[in-house]
Amino acid sequence: LSPGPGGVAVPRAGLKKLVMPPDYSGVTFPERTKLKFMDKVPAVPKVRREPRRLRDIRGPSREATDFTQGQYGILALGGGYLHWGHFEMIRLTIGRGMDPKNMFAVWRVPPPTKTVTRKSLGHRMGGGKGPIDHYVTAVKSGRLVVEVGGRCEFEEVRPFLTQVAKKLPFPAIPVSRDGLQEMRREEEEKKLNNQNPWTFERIVTANMLGMRKYLSPYDLRLKGRYWGKFFLKHRV
Amino acid sequence: APAAKMAALSGGAAPWRRGWLPALQFVRRGSKAVTRHWKAMHFQRQKLMAVTEYLAPRPAVPPRCLEAPRERIEEDNGYVRLLRRQVEEAFRDNRMIAVCQYNSMPGEDMVMMRHYLRKYNIEVKFVLNEIVRPVLSQTKYKNLLPLFVARNILLVSRETKAKEMLRVLKGVPQINLLGACIDDTILSRQGVENFAKLPPLEAAQGQTVGSLALLPSQTSSLLQRSPAYLTALLDQHIRQLQDGKTGTPAEPGPAQSSGAH
Repeated sequence: LSPGPGGVAVPRAGLKKLVMPPDYSGVTFPERTKLKFMDKVPAVPKVRREPRRLRDIRGPSREATDFTQGQYGILALGGGYLHWGHFEMIRLTIGRGMDPKNMFAVWRVPPPTKTVTRKSLGHRMGGGKGPIDHYVTAVKSGRLVVEVGGRCEFEEVRPFLTQVAKKLPFPAIPVSRDGLQEMRREEEEKKLNNQNPWTFERIVTANMLGMRKYLSPYDLRLKGRYWGKFFLKHRV
Repeated sequence: APAAKMAALSGGAAPWRRGWLPALQFVRRGSKAVTRHWKAMHFQRQKLMAVTEYLAPRPAVPPRCLEAPRERIEEDNGYVRLLRRQVEEAFRDNRMIAVCQYNSMPGEDMVMMRHYLRKYNIEVKFVLNEIVRPVLSQTKYKNLLPLFVARNILLVSRETKAKEMLRVLKGVPQINLLGACIDDTILSRQGVENFAKLPPLEAAQGQTVGSLALLPSQTSSLLQRSPAYLTALLDQHIRQLQDGKTGTPAEPGPAQSSGAH
């Protein structure tokens, strides 16, 4: 329905356009179509407690940013830690929602290896580092968590992927290959047609008005789009 | 935030003596860089974020007022081609093509109407406007284009039986005749009615032949008037002779009368 000059679209019945069904000839299925079970504790549990290193949450992701096997996936729009409960939730929800004969799902995130320590409740500060409580995986923004593919359309896959995305500890959205490309293209366009002559990057790199006094040295790299673990999507 | 200034220590005691205070120092206090909650930004940073926000481009004419270029990729649908071919054939083969407005009718009425029209060898065709319009615009039937708007049907036939068609259509109130193209002449509704009132072809042919032959017949009668008069007189004379035979034979009579003329 195309709107006329007044802006109103008049519905009209025309010739039915018969669309060819999609061609899934080039799709290769992995051996196991369902998601692999992730253990709570790695095969060799860690003895040494490691420092917190929250920088593995901060900033954009460098790995698993593009699709490999599947066509659709869940994109993380913020940083966070995924623990075994999240993994089980993802595995079961996707397992319930997908059709193992025509679709396959693949993890893009390693099993939990980072140790998280917890002190027992009700004690004062001090007395050393607490014992290991559980294991987590760090996820940065812009990383794919799971990938789904096969003989299916985005509309079939979207419901259970959104269900999973809402339950993750960081904001996430289901994307397809085209959707991701579209997002990146829009970002580039925004950067190009920004009418504001003052950009964060420009001010920080030139240290205008001594702004670097109030900013972190990481802001040179993050360019105002990231704040802590959060990804600010509306910023250029 | 920058760490505590080390330069103050290296400068020695002299700047302090002069009454110099270090500039405001920001010690990282409170939470770490990466927190679960939204860490409060320094006010200067907030101002910087506000200043460097994205400003969308604003064209002089809003895109809603401009007509966007219709990027309609005309995929040559085989079905569309078939329908177009059918329409072209219909226009080529049939002598009479009538376009009627088609309002929704009950099914049985439709079937009955088609049956009656079939008896007079008239076919009812349903064609989509979006197919007929491009086909007609390229042929000589361009003036029929204004008729192909909204719901319509085509009544096509190889003979031109306008009177019977009008009679059938009169009985069906939902079908209204808009126009017709009979023998490559476009007629309006009034024109079709007049066409129906005309006498049949043979009578019309006889009429034209008679009107054409009027003048030559007059000239031939003019030419034949004197010999006809002569033959009439001769006949009269023969009759007189036959009557006079019973009386006195008068032979020089006709010789004198023929010599006088």
